[in-house]
Amino acid sequence: MLKDLQELVKAEVISQNTADKISDFYHKKGEDSTNRLFIIFGILGAILVGLGIIMIIAHNWDELSKTTKTFFALLPLVGGQLLCLFTLIKKQDSVAWRESSAAFLFFSVGASISLVSQIYNIPGDLSSYLLTWMLLCLPLIYVMNSSITSLLYIVGITFYASETGYWSQPQSEAYFYWLLLLAVLPHYYLLFKKKPESNFVVFHHWLVPLSIIISLGTVADKTGSLMYIAYFSLFGLLYLVGNSVIFAQQKTRNNGYKILGTLGSIILLLTLSFDWFWDALRKRDFQFNEVITSPEFFAAVVLSLLAGGLLLFQLKNKSIRDMKPVAPVFILFILAFIIGLSSSIAVVLINFFVFAIGILTIKDGAKKDHLGILNFGLLIITALVICRFFDADLSFVFKGILFVSVGVGFFAANSWMLKKRKTNE
Amino acid sequence: MSSKKLLLSVFILVALAQLYVPAKMIFDKEDTLETGIDYKFITAPIDPTDPFRGKYIILGYKDNVSVIDNEKDWVSGEIVYVFLKNDQNGFAKIKSVSKEKPTDNQDFLKAKLSAVSNDGTNKLTIYFPFDRYYMEESKASDAEEIYAKSLQDTTQLTYALVSIKNGDAVLKDVLIDGVSIKEIVKANQKK
Repeated sequence: MLKDLQELVKAEVISQNTADKISDFYHKKGEDSTNRLFIIFGILGAILVGLGIIMIIAHNWDELSKTTKTFFALLPLVGGQLLCLFTLIKKQDSVAWRESSAAFLFFSVGASISLVSQIYNIPGDLSSYLLTWMLLCLPLIYVMNSSITSLLYIVGITFYASETGYWSQPQSEAYFYWLLLLAVLPHYYLLFKKKPESNFVVFHHWLVPLSIIISLGTVADKTGSLMYIAYFSLFGLLYLVGNSVIFAQQKTRNNGYKILGTLGSIILLLTLSFDWFWDALRKRDFQFNEVITSPEFFAAVVLSLLAGGLLLFQLKNKSIRDMKPVAPVFILFILAFIIGLSSSIAVVLINFFVFAIGILTIKDGAKKDHLGILNFGLLIITALVICRFFDADLSFVFKGILFVSVGVGFFAANSWMLKKRKTNE
Repeated sequence: MSSKKLLLSVFILVALAQLYVPAKMIFDKEDTLETGIDYKFITAPIDPTDPFRGKYIILGYKDNVSVIDNEKDWVSGEIVYVFLKNDQNGFAKIKSVSKEKPTDNQDFLKAKLSAVSNDGTNKLTIYFPFDRYYMEESKASDAEEIYAKSLQDTTQLTYALVSIKNGDAVLKDVLIDGVSIKEIVKANQKK
């Protein structure tokens, strides 16, 4: 590369000044990437060493006295704290030092509690253990300014919510989860403002919506069918967030909000394109007072209002024709739900929605000359056809015709698009 | 105060909190071990299909049921206070169960209800919070085998030695006919 530059200077293609600038640019870029590698390996190393030490102690050496075992159980914790202290005093500007010492301390805190439990034969309750652990590590995110701690913390609180809300008997509410999540958002926001393109931000873009999707279900109590509204509105909200100006510069694969919102909406629609849900809904007798005071109702209202507000805000500067097909699904679903309380036409509506989203996505793909979007639209239609395949009351001939036409559609749409591209060239 | 100093002071506070939690656990358990009263609980066979066993043995207990006046007053999962007594052979039995924490100097155990009957028999099943006995990794599976065998053998008596103080309990040892299971495993492995 440098040789080529010299050649170009000699041949007077570029000036010496430009050549210097180019070599400076690549030099700096190289430094950045070694720095990034250093951070990744620092964190990986810290986690591996931490977990390794913990496993050695967890062997529970019978020959050691209880005092010695306790001493070794607290050793990683104190070690991690000293490492973090050293980082704060001497290496505060080094991302690699901050992230790896904080990651080590994160695991040491959890390990010390569980090792002490083991020494004293305490069975312990997993959800309170997770809660204590996460609360003790929450300040590290801010004090150490550590994004890996933030990511581990999000995983931890999601685990806590699931353990409390789904897996333990008797199930209990995990409302505390929402406060814990709120506590990590300032770090996310600051990180996003400072380095919107960094890998840590991208991981947050995926983990935060995923954590919310997993944990929303813990709200469910007795009026579970209202959760479908809550989930549709959540997916709508996520989609709209992913579609907003803040994410305009992001690559699609880095935009967890948009992808999760789209996939969530469509999978949920496909699930409800069967009759069983609507059948049960018509038979269900809702008591007004019971519904109004239920946590599901509260979640559904809050999420629908948020999503509705954001949709209105985004439509303010655009015409309704520019609206993406997935964006208004949550509103349409609320309508279908209300109709579905008394009429069986709702299931037809849902099937129509999926079909319409498929067609509009294909159209969008064709307009943008984007094979990915086009085929995604076709996939939606295919999924709908496969779902209908399982409904027994359609004849084989009808199913066969459906499959053939979708298959032909795939060929026709793709070859048409490719041909169009060729003629454009 | 400069921002760095502030950061350091906050960190030291956080570090102290992180040390406090395990330290508190150790002090509480040590206190129970030293000044608590020892009870012997006879163990019962456990579900052999439980897959989540690593390096500890899961203990089940024989006398974990108490009869109350009305089963409808109790909910599975709620916290209760259990009063204990010793039978003529020196093994622990439940004397009574209460929802209120006792204020007098009676010995009691804080526990959860694992089940409440709903067939009119008015029975509470209590989950004793000492159902795991940790062993050295290499000895746990042997210990489990010995433990399971001793439960099938009606001539052998297996029991857990537990220290209890102010509702808190610490499992000290698991014994088969008076010999610690750790010693039995050690002797077996030497053979």
